Amino acid sequence: MKKILIAEDSSTMRSLLATTIESLGGYQIVEAASGFEALRLLPREPVDLIITDINMPDINGLELVSFVRSSDNYRHIPLFIISTEGSERDREKGLTLGANEYLVKPFDPARLQELIVKYTA
Amino acid sequence: MTNSHDESGRAVEDFLAEAEEIVERLNTDLVTLSDCADSGECDPDLLNAIFRGSHSLKGLAGMFGFADIQLLSHNLENLLDSLRLGKVTLSPEVMTVLFDAMELLSTVVRGLGGGEDCSAAIAEAVARLNACASAEPAGGESPLQKLGIPERILNSLTEYEEHRLLENVRKGRTIYSLHASFSLMSFDQDLGEITEALKGAGEVVSTLPSASATPESMIDFEILYGTELDRDAVAALVDRENVDIATFGAAPAPATPSPAAAVSISPASPPPAPAVVPAPGGEEMTAKSMSRTVRVDIGKLDELMNIVGELVLSHSTISALGTRMRLEGFSSLAIELGKAAKGLERKLTELQKGVMEIRMIPVGQLFEKLTRIVRKVSREQGKKIDLKLFGADTELDKLIIEDISDPMVHIIRNAIDHGLEPPDERVAAGKPERGTIRLSSYQKGNHVVIEVAEDGRGINIEKVKRKALEKGLIKTLEGVADRDALDFIFLPGFSTTDKVSELSGRGVGMDVVKNNIAAVSGMVDIESEFGRGTRVIITLPITLAIIKALLVTTAGRSYAIPITSVLETIIASDADIDTVERKEVYQLRQTTLPLVRLERFFGIARQAPPSGEFYIVVVGVAEKRLGIIVDDLTGQQDIVIKSLGDMFKGYRGISGAADLGDQRTILVLDVGGIIGEAFRSGG
Repeated sequence: MKKILIAEDSSTMRSLLATTIESLGGYQIVEAASGFEALRLLPREPVDLIITDINMPDINGLELVSFVRSSDNYRHIPLFIISTEGSERDREKGLTLGANEYLVKPFDPARLQELIVKYTA
Repeated sequence: MTNSHDESGRAVEDFLAEAEEIVERLNTDLVTLSDCADSGECDPDLLNAIFRGSHSLKGLAGMFGFADIQLLSHNLENLLDSLRLGKVTLSPEVMTVLFDAMELLSTVVRGLGGGEDCSAAIAEAVARLNACASAEPAGGESPLQKLGIPERILNSLTEYEEHRLLENVRKGRTIYSLHASFSLMSFDQDLGEITEALKGAGEVVSTLPSASATPESMIDFEILYGTELDRDAVAALVDRENVDIATFGAAPAPATPSPAAAVSISPASPPPAPAVVPAPGGEEMTAKSMSRTVRVDIGKLDELMNIVGELVLSHSTISALGTRMRLEGFSSLAIELGKAAKGLERKLTELQKGVMEIRMIPVGQLFEKLTRIVRKVSREQGKKIDLKLFGADTELDKLIIEDISDPMVHIIRNAIDHGLEPPDERVAAGKPERGTIRLSSYQKGNHVVIEVAEDGRGINIEKVKRKALEKGLIKTLEGVADRDALDFIFLPGFSTTDKVSELSGRGVGMDVVKNNIAAVSGMVDIESEFGRGTRVIITLPITLAIIKALLVTTAGRSYAIPITSVLETIIASDADIDTVERKEVYQLRQTTLPLVRLERFFGIARQAPPSGEFYIVVVGVAEKRLGIIVDDLTGQQDIVIKSLGDMFKGYRGISGAADLGDQRTILVLDVGGIIGEAFRSGG
């Protein structure tokens, strides 16, 4: 069973992502409703992949990426940003900081599934 | 994406619930924004929160394929983005465009799944939003590089945070980076305390976490902070030992160290901006409160309420069994059963109260919506209005609040459109330039009263009377009481026609308002003084879900009368009844009580002649009193009112049906409707 952390403040979007991923089978979802919650969950729940939104109430997704990539413990975890077609700048930054993929909402479920399988293989 | 219809249906429901929540919050925030736009400086957090709201909505709508909402929120988001990035100034015109777009967005979200086509309105709103939003890119190289802030921090700033940082630099503030280590267990609390302290005297631009070199149980944060304070003052503000403070760029001008905690202002910088006030219920709060509330479909609550109602009925059956047992000689068992039934009754009452409370929401939610309308309409019409709210925490059944929302909007619009005069007219009449609307709510027994009072021009009663004469509603102008004349306003087609058009407008008259309010067993009254103002008083039951009723029979049929409307009951005989102008009345103490014979009201033919004595049930809603004549009173009972369905909708005098538990169904009287009809035919 692979574990995936979803950091996203919209509960609807979280469950939508969860449904998309769970339907693949073999994946377990850990949900965080904010960046802080994700920070707290990471040491407790070893995860195989992180998916984060950019706009969140406490810390932004870029900051989460920066944190993950600066940590010896989490550096290796694949990370996707899923954001609503934010600015080109934010996208560039996300990828520079070390996000593996940058998906735009509304995302294509099949494409997301494909990427998840690829990065957790 | 989803496995079944059920699941996708639920997902859409979730989406709608969240969308409504977002729209509601956006509306509230927009009002706050409009207030601070009027007064000058705005809290950047507030604008950003509004931006994030429309951003989330766009994302969600896109996922669920609601193109209308996506398009509208996308363009709304664009304008908000330009605003928060300082590319567009928040002018009154922009505010109006935002309000209009927001209102349309609310309409579209609420109307999902069967609303009318809004595409034309959306296209127009989009065009207006776009006209406001500047398409110009921020242009030029970022001067942030010069500040010497580490790349690592700069790289994780979003475009918006970069803008805020620049804004702080532009204001001549010093930029600090505060580095702190916290325990992983409690970092959000520690961080919350520090940011709260900092926010009082500057702006927290970003909070960057980094994996600590220290033990795994710790986490480091880099807080980017802009303020006019010097380093010592910042340190004093934070008041913690383990916080390192680094200074970047624009150092405070005075070379002499200013005393700690004093505000240092560089000569060139503008006067100190008012301290940024944290938005009420900051982000921390919303994150916390989220986990402490549950969203429930009101249908589920209705279901629960039905079950409670049925339990109450089962309880009556058990009590009746106890009574029978006692009569049939099982006295000791009967006493025990009686005790158990009493205990059950107490708990049932608690349960009923509990379920009822869940349905209750403060009328403040409705007031907020009305506040927006007052702002919008007063802007449109160039009228100056002070809106005063009272009793916003009065609670009412959510369904009732929803149902009276449209009539309330109509009443408020009337107050502004036709009640309050333009400023010059007010001054000429010796009134203050600004008009006042008082929106108040309070509980009165089992009812909630909502009042809309304004100090406008008032209703010209003589004009109303002349109109009534013209329409043949009255035969002469003499002897028509002002109170009665005001009731004409509620007649269909009365107010929307020519000469009395200042009484109402927009094609929908007060008759519709009255009907909508009557549909939730409410009453509406008007008081007006020519030249001084008008007051609309709405009286509503607290809930429709479960009520105590008086059961009556007449001509062999049973009816339930909501006990909340019953004032008293009187035993009387034909000798006690007088006739005034061919109407039956009863002298109740000092006043004359008009009477209605229930069987005549419903046109029931009597099988047997009535016995000599009968009952008068005195009912009253708002200020009106009426005696309903029935053959007998058969008891009191809790009933759950169920609507009769469309087939019987609008059936006069009946508001619904209730199940009595012994396989009998009983009709519930619409007291407000009966009173209204009695008074109308009497006038």
